[in-house]
Amino acid sequence: MEFEELLKIIVEVKEDANIEDITPETRFVEDLGADSLDVLSIVELIESEFQITISDDELMKISTVQDAYDAIEKYL
Amino acid sequence: MATITRVALDGMGGDNAPAEVVKGAVEAVKTHKEIHVLLTGKEEVLNRELSAYDYPKEQIEVINATEEVEMAEPPVYAIRHKKDSSMAVAMKLVREGRADAVVSAGNSGAILVGGQVLIGKLKGVERTPLAPLIPTAKGVSLLIDCGANVDARASHLVQFARMGSVYMEHVIGKKNPTVGIVNIGAEEEKGNALVKETFPKLKACKDINFVGSVEARDIPKGDVDVIVCEAFVGNVILKLYEGVGSTLIHKVKAGMMTSLRSKIGGILVKPALKETLKTFDASEYGGAPMLGLKGLVVKTHGNSTAKEICTSIIQCVTFHEQHINEKIGEAIQNAEE
Repeated sequence: MEFEELLKIIVEVKEDANIEDITPETRFVEDLGADSLDVLSIVELIESEFQITISDDELMKISTVQDAYDAIEKYL
Repeated sequence: MATITRVALDGMGGDNAPAEVVKGAVEAVKTHKEIHVLLTGKEEVLNRELSAYDYPKEQIEVINATEEVEMAEPPVYAIRHKKDSSMAVAMKLVREGRADAVVSAGNSGAILVGGQVLIGKLKGVERTPLAPLIPTAKGVSLLIDCGANVDARASHLVQFARMGSVYMEHVIGKKNPTVGIVNIGAEEEKGNALVKETFPKLKACKDINFVGSVEARDIPKGDVDVIVCEAFVGNVILKLYEGVGSTLIHKVKAGMMTSLRSKIGGILVKPALKETLKTFDASEYGGAPMLGLKGLVVKTHGNSTAKEICTSIIQCVTFHEQHINEKIGEAIQNAEE
């Protein structure tokens, strides 16, 4: 999966975020101002887009964009 | 040609589903040709219920969904793991652009989570409030938020005021609606930390007709059109409103039966009393819309009857025809604070 595909999903939920400012180290809550439901929305779109199901344990571990990317990669 | 409003109806949600939900859908399409209902749930069950009615068949389409969200199920679990529930399928129809609105009498928490996760917030919206219309002496007022955000911040309440103003102006037709913040006194310096922080912010908004504090006892008088508060307060107001109303009606009815004289008096006043009480019947006003989403979500009471379901479906028409979401989006984007 291309990293850009994930970025597109993130800005679909966090429309105020500037895609060029998002790096693998960007934290969803602290840097993007996302709340828990925003993170859940991003995961929902990822699951729907890539036809995967991320486990609840892995979902709880997602803090940065890299975490989300790694979680998706595991299932692809 | 009238605009068609496509309403995704959670066929299995609520204490009285699917029977009352299906009946409500039938009543809505019988009286409104511009409504198309997408009824989600177990196909076999819904078709069996529908077969009992005579209705314009082309206006109700059954969309199969194999799972159901239980009323007491943890909301996040229900949305994460029951992807083929009648509620989730209805919400996805909105996300995919196949429906304009969702109506559900199901699990409140799941509706709130699902609305945000499966449909998504409008750009710039921080929190999505639940905003029922409540009957007052002057008509109706919008109570915003009555259950979605118990730990709201001042910026959230300011957005609620904007969204509520758009709703009252374009759905109810109230020009330049007044906005008040629920407080424990009329003065600006009264209230808890949240109210004290929000008050000057609302006062500074040029696009909001802010009239100051509103005390709970003044809400039924209808002096304020948009009543802003955080969800804990809003929910207490709503439940107390319903409780006092039904207790009062019960006491009046019991009082009328105490003597022959009161019974005769009761018969004489009954028609006028019935008409007056009808204006205070919450089921006349439909469900509570969840504002700030990319589609409309209407939450009706868990124990909704066909009448409430029908009113909630019809409620979606004005919302859709008036492009309320677009107007809320504009109000949030153009906000000057």
